[in-house]
Amino acid sequence: MSKLLKVFLIASFAVASFSAKAVTVASWGGAYTESQQKAYADTYTDPSSIQFENYNGGLGEVRAQVESGSVTWDLVDALPGDAITGCDEGLFEDITTEIAELSTPGPDGESMLEDMENNGLEYHSGWDCCVPQIFWTYVVFYDPDAFPGDKPSSMADFFDVEKFPGKRGIHTWATGIVEKAMVADGVKPSAVPTVLRDQTGALDRAFAKLDTIKDHIVFWSSGAKPLELVKSGEVVMSIAYNGRVGAANLAEGENFEYIWEGQVLDQEYLCLVAGAPNRDAAIDFMMHASTPEAQAEQAKYITYGPMRASGIPIIQAGEPWGPGGVDIMPHMPNTPERLKVSIVSDPQWWSDNGAEINERYSAWMGN
Amino acid sequence: MEVPISTAELLTTDGVPLKQSLKKAERKNKIRAFLLVFPLLLFIIVTFVMPIGDMLLRSVDDTQINTVFPNTFSEFKKWDKEKDELPPEEVYKALFEELAYGDKIQVGRALTRMNYSKSGWKSLIKNTSRAIKKAVKKNEFPDSYKDFLISANDKWADPTFWYAMGQMVNYQTPIYYYNAIDMTYDQNQNVIRQEENRRVYVQTWIKTLKVSVYVTFFCLVLGFPVAHLLANLPLRYSNLLMIFVLLPFWTSLLVRTTAWIVMLQQQGVINGILVWLGILNDDGRLSMVYNETGTLIAMTQILLPFMILPLYSVMRVIPKSHMRAAQNLGAKPATAFWKVYLPQTIPGMSAGGLLVFVLAIGYFITPELVGGKDGKLIGSWIAYHLKTTLNWGLCAALGAILLGVMLVFYWLYNKIVGIDNIKLG
Repeated sequence: MSKLLKVFLIASFAVASFSAKAVTVASWGGAYTESQQKAYADTYTDPSSIQFENYNGGLGEVRAQVESGSVTWDLVDALPGDAITGCDEGLFEDITTEIAELSTPGPDGESMLEDMENNGLEYHSGWDCCVPQIFWTYVVFYDPDAFPGDKPSSMADFFDVEKFPGKRGIHTWATGIVEKAMVADGVKPSAVPTVLRDQTGALDRAFAKLDTIKDHIVFWSSGAKPLELVKSGEVVMSIAYNGRVGAANLAEGENFEYIWEGQVLDQEYLCLVAGAPNRDAAIDFMMHASTPEAQAEQAKYITYGPMRASGIPIIQAGEPWGPGGVDIMPHMPNTPERLKVSIVSDPQWWSDNGAEINERYSAWMGN
Repeated sequence: MEVPISTAELLTTDGVPLKQSLKKAERKNKIRAFLLVFPLLLFIIVTFVMPIGDMLLRSVDDTQINTVFPNTFSEFKKWDKEKDELPPEEVYKALFEELAYGDKIQVGRALTRMNYSKSGWKSLIKNTSRAIKKAVKKNEFPDSYKDFLISANDKWADPTFWYAMGQMVNYQTPIYYYNAIDMTYDQNQNVIRQEENRRVYVQTWIKTLKVSVYVTFFCLVLGFPVAHLLANLPLRYSNLLMIFVLLPFWTSLLVRTTAWIVMLQQQGVINGILVWLGILNDDGRLSMVYNETGTLIAMTQILLPFMILPLYSVMRVIPKSHMRAAQNLGAKPATAFWKVYLPQTIPGMSAGGLLVFVLAIGYFITPELVGGKDGKLIGSWIAYHLKTTLNWGLCAALGAILLGVMLVFYWLYNKIVGIDNIKLG
């Protein structure tokens, strides 16, 4: 065997055994994962023991790993609906006791779960297997230059193509849009989840509202798209993930305006895969990543808000918290006054009805 | 003079009958040949036959939920829907017990399945479970399980949930196939059409087939002259032109897709030029992307090499003398082309056509990016259910139908053109 080959073999074994010890975190990639790397991994006791891997969301791969018994991921960055289903199905491990014993309480001694409830969240079964990360939102944004006169400021304006002519960018799945349509139709934002859950015909109402702008929609399916659409003038305003808009404003010198009314806050969790190869190390990292300090730290790198209420005061006290000495709170989705006009998406309801509504939404798009 | 015919067997030098020895050698060769292909065979079985078999099984399998609620379902089957509006007490009792003592994870998996038959099962069972566990913990068993469940959640008094349960009471079920073509069961397991605002698969199937056929057709129309040109130019020119075909072929799919968006969008290059030239006015910009036009344009360009390359390799070996001979014998150029040249290109056209069609029918990334609201082809739905709803039964059914459609086209193709006529070079 040539010497080079030997060296190569040894090196690859070394790499393999090294990576076997690292905690693998499946996350969404891009600026978001970068912010997790900086806020969670780099501040961890052993940063090199955390490895991020990209995935596209959904539980398909997790279920395939768990069913086949060859689990390679330890942690998954999951949407609340996936957290619920994954925990119910046993794809994620129930660590209720570990969370109760090991998580860092808030400054007033409130437990982590109470801390989350203080932020307007309700318990769901995802909380048994996962720790909180950030709030992200579906928010409408626009380029102020596109509106020389009056500027749109409400959901009603977004749905009013006579007052504000031009196309609107909307995503190709139903989450977030249904809620916005309800707000445009006159429902108070905070009441939207209850109305959707309890009133028969509420969905018909949302779809009827959507019908009014149907011919003025450009549909997008990937997160970078809405920014391109607005920048190129293809649409005059668009729904987007607020982190993308924040990054464009903070890092690329754009000057986009948000319409915070009717923004739909959604949650993000870090969940432990059942049968994770580095279970204990992974739990330790979960506890680190869910401290109020770590959550506040993440806001330095991306404009997603902490899911623990006690994360907010840390940011406020630390201003200017953003990159290059910028105040970050003006870009955050969950300040108290913005929360008043926001909808906190109800993951339990979506996990019950999401499949059906998405079919309906697609049928609506296609007709 | 007679030649004596030996009736004795021919023997080899070591005394074994020749026939036997030959047989032995042949068998050895066969085994050797088999061993040579064995790894490939194994590979195909493991990566192709087994997954497809598994997929086909999954599309009809409903075992999991039946192992979670065996008693509930067997009691359920005794329910006379004509006589009683709600199922009898025994059903409620069996359900109570199976939720109280069932394995949490198994019940959780069943929940995901139940939610496909009717939205709302998930939280209904979860809430009820919580109430049941609380009662069991306190050792309080109700006199009427029916009343207990209904007071825990009034949806248990809603017969539509019970009707939906009827979809799941067998170990094998065709329901996923019905769902894949916008059908479902009514309360008596009669197959009916899905509610109107949820009918989405049939239109997607039609759209997928339409896009695939159009793309194949456009590829043929655009690819044929290019391949002809490539095959008939002197080598140094044709090599250069070949690079123009291959370069995009080697370029990342996403880059090409994005490039088309830049070209086609309303504020894009083509519209910009047309407005600048005064052909369009600023308000009349064409919308060529985020609709079906965009899908067709981008997919045609991306799949074009799969048409050009087989066509080219077939055309290159057609002797030029054939056309000349035909014209020498009095055929007009068009007739010579039609009667002499074209038939000889059929193997290339069919190979290219089949390749493009097969690729197009399962496409979903490009259409999603450039297709806007029309961009959801059947592949997108399979990916959606695989990842998001975890409805793998429906995925499998959609996949099986896709496979079936392909086989039908293959069969048709074999009938019309003949599969021996396919030629890749």
